[in-house]
Amino acid sequence: MSSKPQPPSSSPPPNNNFAVAFCALAAARTWLSLTGFSSLLDHNQLVSSPLTAFSNLKEGIFLFNHDIDPYSGGSFRQSPLLLSLFTTILPSSSKPLASLLWTLNDVVGAYTLVQIWRSRQNVTSSRRDTLVAAAYLLNPYLFLPSLALSTSSFENTLMLSAILFACKRKPSQTVFTLSVLVQLSLTSIIMVLPAMLLLITDPHSHLASPQPIQTSLRKLWPLFGEFSLYTIVLILISTVIAGSWTWIPQTWGATLMLPDLTPNTGMWWYFFTEMFDHFRPFFLMVFSVHLLIYVAPVCLKFQYDPLYAAYILLGILGIFKPYPTLSDPGLFVSMIALFPETYQYMRHPIVTLLLHLHAALLMPLFYDLWVVQGAGNANFFYASTLVFACANGAAIVDALWSGLRVAIGETPEGYVVVQE
Amino acid sequence: MWTSGRIAHILLLCSPIFALSAERFDETLSINTLQDGKVSSKFTFTTLLKGASPRNPKTLDEEDESQLYTVFPLGLGQILREYAVTELHLSLNTGRWNYDRWGYPEETGVGTGAELWAWMGDGAIRTVDERWKGLRNALAGLFCTSLGSMDDLRTTSPEKTFVPEGSLPNWDAPHQIRHASLPSENVCTENLTPFLKLLPCKSLSGIATLLNPHKLFDADWHGMSVHVLWRGDEGVEVRLTFQSVSDPLRSAVTRKQDWSFESLFGRTIDRPCPVAETSEVSVTLPINAMYTIQPEPARVENNLAKFDVKEISEPLLVRMIWPRPFSYPQTYHSEATPFSVRRTLKGSSQAWGQLSLVIENHRPTSMRAMYLETMPWLLQFHLHTLQARIDGVLQDKIISNVQYMPSVPHSRPTTLQAILTLPPDTSVHITMDVTKAFLRYTEFQPDAQRGWDLPPAIITPLEDHDNYTIPSYSEKRMYTANLLVEQATPDFSMPYNVIIFTCSLIAFIFGSIFNILTRNFVLVKVD
Repeated sequence: MSSKPQPPSSSPPPNNNFAVAFCALAAARTWLSLTGFSSLLDHNQLVSSPLTAFSNLKEGIFLFNHDIDPYSGGSFRQSPLLLSLFTTILPSSSKPLASLLWTLNDVVGAYTLVQIWRSRQNVTSSRRDTLVAAAYLLNPYLFLPSLALSTSSFENTLMLSAILFACKRKPSQTVFTLSVLVQLSLTSIIMVLPAMLLLITDPHSHLASPQPIQTSLRKLWPLFGEFSLYTIVLILISTVIAGSWTWIPQTWGATLMLPDLTPNTGMWWYFFTEMFDHFRPFFLMVFSVHLLIYVAPVCLKFQYDPLYAAYILLGILGIFKPYPTLSDPGLFVSMIALFPETYQYMRHPIVTLLLHLHAALLMPLFYDLWVVQGAGNANFFYASTLVFACANGAAIVDALWSGLRVAIGETPEGYVVVQE
Repeated sequence: MWTSGRIAHILLLCSPIFALSAERFDETLSINTLQDGKVSSKFTFTTLLKGASPRNPKTLDEEDESQLYTVFPLGLGQILREYAVTELHLSLNTGRWNYDRWGYPEETGVGTGAELWAWMGDGAIRTVDERWKGLRNALAGLFCTSLGSMDDLRTTSPEKTFVPEGSLPNWDAPHQIRHASLPSENVCTENLTPFLKLLPCKSLSGIATLLNPHKLFDADWHGMSVHVLWRGDEGVEVRLTFQSVSDPLRSAVTRKQDWSFESLFGRTIDRPCPVAETSEVSVTLPINAMYTIQPEPARVENNLAKFDVKEISEPLLVRMIWPRPFSYPQTYHSEATPFSVRRTLKGSSQAWGQLSLVIENHRPTSMRAMYLETMPWLLQFHLHTLQARIDGVLQDKIISNVQYMPSVPHSRPTTLQAILTLPPDTSVHITMDVTKAFLRYTEFQPDAQRGWDLPPAIITPLEDHDNYTIPSYSEKRMYTANLLVEQATPDFSMPYNVIIFTCSLIAFIFGSIFNILTRNFVLVKVD
């Protein structure tokens, strides 16, 4: 991480409190990762998708070490970059070491989120820091996939790092982190535009004072050029590692073609399980393009606050991604902590909260009944994923509504706020 | 012109006579009493086309030489020529061959269900895979079986285990093997009828008279097979076999093992097949037991009583009578087969499980064996969890030379070959984690809740001094039992509902988001 320790703050007590609390949170997470609890999640497909599961990663590493092309078939669908890291410097054979690595990754992610918060508020420390860190480290949607050693945790940390680099106006670092992220998960490409807008503007909250973007958009072109350059270089590196181009259909291709219909929290798997064969290519195209539709409108509407646009688009990814795990909507949920100014204007927070509770309780239950016990029916689990999608959709509506409503502020006596 | 035409005409008239002298048909029936009182019988019908050689695939685009056969089955011959098949083995079996009690079968291919493997020359305009597809469809038509479903989902090339039984012609391009098995396919009357049609005397005379479907398909185990191979110095050989294991004790009130043609097949041999060169019934005589065999055999060689069907003057009805009731042995000695193999799929979950193989080496010497798994993609192996244990202790010397080709979802199956080194008198437990794939609703078979039959694993004992590149086998291959995998099923009545629900929800979220994005908030004075 490039985020350097902050200089001593003018108000020492909160800062010290944060350091102590952060260490306590990190210690708690480390303890949790080393207990036997994580073995309960080994095969759970809600916390790790076929594209992120640790058992698939280990299979790929094993095949790679035994001179069998891991991309010639089978279940290994992770990027060659992860393959090369885990066969060289990172541990994968020992479970406790891997658990520590994943916990460390989450701690870095949490610290990055705190740094994003600080740069949004333009302060070096605040009383809210601990809350922001806790929102990341204690979010079950985030720590359960991390306990199951799902590589989606790395994607989240990379995403947050890219946003932090953009907040700190470090173009090369931002663009490089983004292109690494796109290597790991193709759908993250929709985060490129908001991150670059964030680079050329500032991360501070302008929700209360909307105005057209001041800087020239021409500054984006060199950034896009740099992004393409890094992506091409990383593709070439991946090809050298994998020894052939077969990794592209096996990793990125899986995102577009959905060959593995393992149940997850998303909306794709059951739809394409039940799809008529002759409509499959059409709907695959529709679902992929649908993800891209949101980028331009959201970035246009929130051009004065690109960090908020990035937050909304992360929520969209959490619902509509082809192979989501709980950590994708989890990142959106944790990022709510960054925008306290919107809380009082949310449209239906109670409904959203109840929907989330409903889905969070029923999804594991129905999953277990159907897949493990063999007693229930696929429709029950499917219905609970629909509720989960409703919950995430309601959360996005809340976020959008409040993000735009802030601009009006308090309603004077005798007036009401309506949509035009 | 006139002369040459006349000569050609005369030659054409004479050709059946030439052909007859170039073909040879032999039939045998061997009957054997097994340890557990059951009786195995095996019919073999061998036709040899002397001097013939398999079609070179390079000549596939040219006019083929004419096929004038008298006893050689034309229906099969046409298929072999059309797809330029050098060697072919098809077996259709029902039941599980119990190696521990019955020893090795006389015909090796006893895997439950249908199994087809063929060696074909490469280098033709039509690729091996195209011809393999044509071959299995043609055989499906010929034998009224569902071999057409041995598609890419089930086809593998395990060239190390299925070595050619005959010789392969030395053409420019190498030969390739294609192998597929269909464990849920059974054999029944509709397969036996076309099988009989390939025989020169059908079931009218000779040993084939005894092929009575009512009795054969009532047997505990039964299977038919077709083998085509090329013997470089003799010609093309077609061997049609039918094996069955009947239980004379099943209906016996007296608990005696007595059997006769009448009890086993419900028929007698009334007259010999005139075109058969030899026609022989041989019965293995028990050692150290009291019995009577009727009628008196023509000759007894090496404990085999032989009857010559060519010489019979009255209907042949062989029977064996045991004076004492049968007592089941306490233990079954299994010296004939080197190992006992048990394969199971553990775990109740519909998403993952564990494949477990227990091999017990009965011999006092260490043995090596080739282990082959060909698995459809619906069971995906996690090779990094492949472990061998003896008495619960992990051993890393047992599995070696792993050759692995991972499956491709919705198409290619997995092929896993490895050499196992088995210590003397020990049982080795081999385990591997597997995940069960989730299928599209159109990919399920009818009766999806029943699960899928998975093909057997094959284990072949290896020569001690053998190196891996050119395996040479000391004994014949052994098939494990089939597996049944239960997969999570979607709701088959729901495609419209799911499309409607999901699309509605997406439209709802899309609509809500764009409703907010495209409209502005304004303050309105309340009157």
